[in-house]
Amino acid sequence: MGQKVYVLGGYQTDFGRNWSKENKHIVAMFREAVNGALQSTKVEAKDIEVAHVGNFAAELYAMQGHLGAFFLEADPAFAGLPTYRHEAACASGSISILAASAEIEAERYEVACVLGVEQMKTVPSKIGGDYLGTAAWYDLEAKGIEFPFPKLFGKLGDEYDKRYGLKSEHLAGISAINYANAKLNPNAQTRTWYMNLSQANSKDDTNSVIGGMIRLSDCSQVTDGAAAIILASEKYATKYAKKHGLNLKDIPYIKGWGHHTSFIRFEDKVAESKDNPYILPHVRQTALDAMKRAKIADVSGLDGLETHDCFTTSEYMAIDHFGLTKPGESWKAVENGTIALDGKFPINPSGGLIGAGHPVGATGVRQALDAYKQVTGTAEDYQVKGAKNFATLNIGGSGTTSVSLIIGR
Amino acid sequence: MTREIKKVVLLGANGTMGFGSGTLFTGADCEVHFLARTKAKAEEGLIAAKKLVRSNTVGNKVTLGSYDKDLEKSVANADLIFEAVAEDFQIKSEFYEKIDQCRRPDSIVATVSSGLSITKLAEPRSKSFQKHFLGLHYFNPPHVITGTEIILGKETDPTLIDFLIDWCAKNQQRVMVKTFDRPGFAGNRVGFKVLNEVAQLAEKYGPAYMDAIIGPYTGRAMAPLATIDLVGWDVHRAIVDNVIDNVTSESDEAFATYHMPEYMRDLLEDGTLGNKSGKGFFKRVEKEKFVLDIATGDYVPVSSVSVPKPAFIKEMKFLHNVGKYKEAMKIFAEAEGPEALIAQKVIGGYISYSFHRVGEVTEDITAIDMIMGMGFNWAPPSVLVDTIGLKETVAMMEKAKVLVPLALSKALSKNSKKPFFNHPQVNIGKFFVAK
Repeated sequence: MGQKVYVLGGYQTDFGRNWSKENKHIVAMFREAVNGALQSTKVEAKDIEVAHVGNFAAELYAMQGHLGAFFLEADPAFAGLPTYRHEAACASGSISILAASAEIEAERYEVACVLGVEQMKTVPSKIGGDYLGTAAWYDLEAKGIEFPFPKLFGKLGDEYDKRYGLKSEHLAGISAINYANAKLNPNAQTRTWYMNLSQANSKDDTNSVIGGMIRLSDCSQVTDGAAAIILASEKYATKYAKKHGLNLKDIPYIKGWGHHTSFIRFEDKVAESKDNPYILPHVRQTALDAMKRAKIADVSGLDGLETHDCFTTSEYMAIDHFGLTKPGESWKAVENGTIALDGKFPINPSGGLIGAGHPVGATGVRQALDAYKQVTGTAEDYQVKGAKNFATLNIGGSGTTSVSLIIGR
Repeated sequence: MTREIKKVVLLGANGTMGFGSGTLFTGADCEVHFLARTKAKAEEGLIAAKKLVRSNTVGNKVTLGSYDKDLEKSVANADLIFEAVAEDFQIKSEFYEKIDQCRRPDSIVATVSSGLSITKLAEPRSKSFQKHFLGLHYFNPPHVITGTEIILGKETDPTLIDFLIDWCAKNQQRVMVKTFDRPGFAGNRVGFKVLNEVAQLAEKYGPAYMDAIIGPYTGRAMAPLATIDLVGWDVHRAIVDNVIDNVTSESDEAFATYHMPEYMRDLLEDGTLGNKSGKGFFKRVEKEKFVLDIATGDYVPVSSVSVPKPAFIKEMKFLHNVGKYKEAMKIFAEAEGPEALIAQKVIGGYISYSFHRVGEVTEDITAIDMIMGMGFNWAPPSVLVDTIGLKETVAMMEKAKVLVPLALSKALSKNSKKPFFNHPQVNIGKFFVAK
């Protein structure tokens, strides 16, 4: 890796809010998140040299494109600012971070603002489910299918079951941990929802099947929200540390990253991996690349993970793909408490997508912000004690685009 | 001794606040004994609780019983006795007498009362009861609204309050607010002042006009008269009358705004209770919305009522819509015209009344801010001052002839830049609804 890219902090909106009920345009979310990030980091708008937006489908949900331009609405001091908008389905937030950090590494700019944003409660859930289908190959995998994505991730569960065996109670265990962690997170969407292990295990009409092994409690939420972070070069971070009486060593940086793309169709992914112990080998490679670049030998060098649990099966997959267990043995980490908040390797202390919420384009940025909070000891009630290196895994589509970051000190 | 809450007895399990609160205790992994007049009534409460939170697992932790058969035994075994029976002093007192005879000496007795005096309710009881009795006021619906008041009586052991504040925050995700034992406590005292004042003004201007002028754009999830319809006119009467009966015009500068309008009393007698009776200030017939004509008592289609649409409201709604809350609220404070003046008087009055209650209903303005924000879903008074601007707020209050609180005039004379509301975890933008 070239120049170090520091993370100065950021801001997340309360994912429990329904911005349509407040009758708000997506720009309101934009303003609150960007201004929140500037205020919490004490970086002035005039210091930002470039800005990137991650967003999946504002054209569909909010009838609004050209999102980069809205930085100027957040603060007139951004007039003239170079901006980008990036899309890679649910990984849109992370690829925005990659693009911004590449610019800092290349010494084009010293300070970047990265915003992930999605307003999803503008439409009924069935229509929203159809929009999400565009993250798959729409005509072949989603058109005319009600809620295509739970069905695709249900197939991931089926594939695990076929190759290694999979019990629904282990998926329920993942769900229950995420919901329990979310109760500790003041920005989590589900923090007051009635959910626990027995509800996640229940098989009655309050927890109906959505697709394959996926029940209601296995799904992430339809969420409105935004998250913004400020990235900086070593040169700026040094000045920043001095100005605010900090030690540069205490400011986290992006130690490593991984980024791969697989076939868009789920059945093509499975066909590709039929002789591989890892069902989604490109995701596995993404995790390995991030650790290699961070000079971390294996998962034991990490203090936890904010992973993409759009459904419990995707977190189940992340467990063995990160190497926490042997392939197909993720259930062990659920059963023995490894991934719980007080376990050896906590996963999703924030509550993840299931508990904290999943505003699609914002998720990757929210994960990076939570990793930042963990390694700076500012995650409050959901703090992983003594965390120094924290990973993220953000996935677009049915395991199609995967991005992992390792943020640490 | 390490105090624990594992076993809870719930009295009034078939009432809305009863079964709603019950889910907070089962969700906190407590065993909860649902009690009502009959076991069948208690079961109705459990069914409603399951429906409320969409989970049948509520039942895993619940046993059912009746007062006659089960109260004595279950109270004797409980760590917490949670009373949610009718909001009536006499009825509550009778239950406390029974509880006093069979409770464990260390068990907590809490009432969900929304404003009756905790001290007076406990007065006839044993020393031990008085020491362990307190108010735990969840707001409706409790599984959604997190703001919760906790109220000490004169003899309540303060360590119990500290314990419960921590316990409810950790196990029930509550935002806990400590209030003094005053009529209506803090939230209802401040909130119903505004609601009743709007009901008074409706007599002159009409309900549709008032809900348009004091609409969500002024910093609330729902317009005031629609809120009274939701709460219920009977509940509204109980709350404002309790304040009238126990507060004087000497101690409360806005006492007059607490008199419930006669038209409301008359209609209440004829069965107008708000949404629960199908008619209040508003009613719906199929898809059409009707509004009460106060002079005649008839309902007319809302669409037939002419409501002025002043430019400042339109402009503010647009600014809220795009997230420019400060700009919007500045326009509010500086707007001219009859509608603006009414709105400024009500909102300025809300800020003024809140600051003037500090020391009487809570220790500080933060407690009032938190209960108005998290219990009522209204922009907390301090958020309004910060968003409008201190200088502009004071100017608006002076123009509207509202008493300027000392805290504001002092801060202004010192040219203070310090925000009144400082809770970064609260998204203040959510209070400014673009409707």
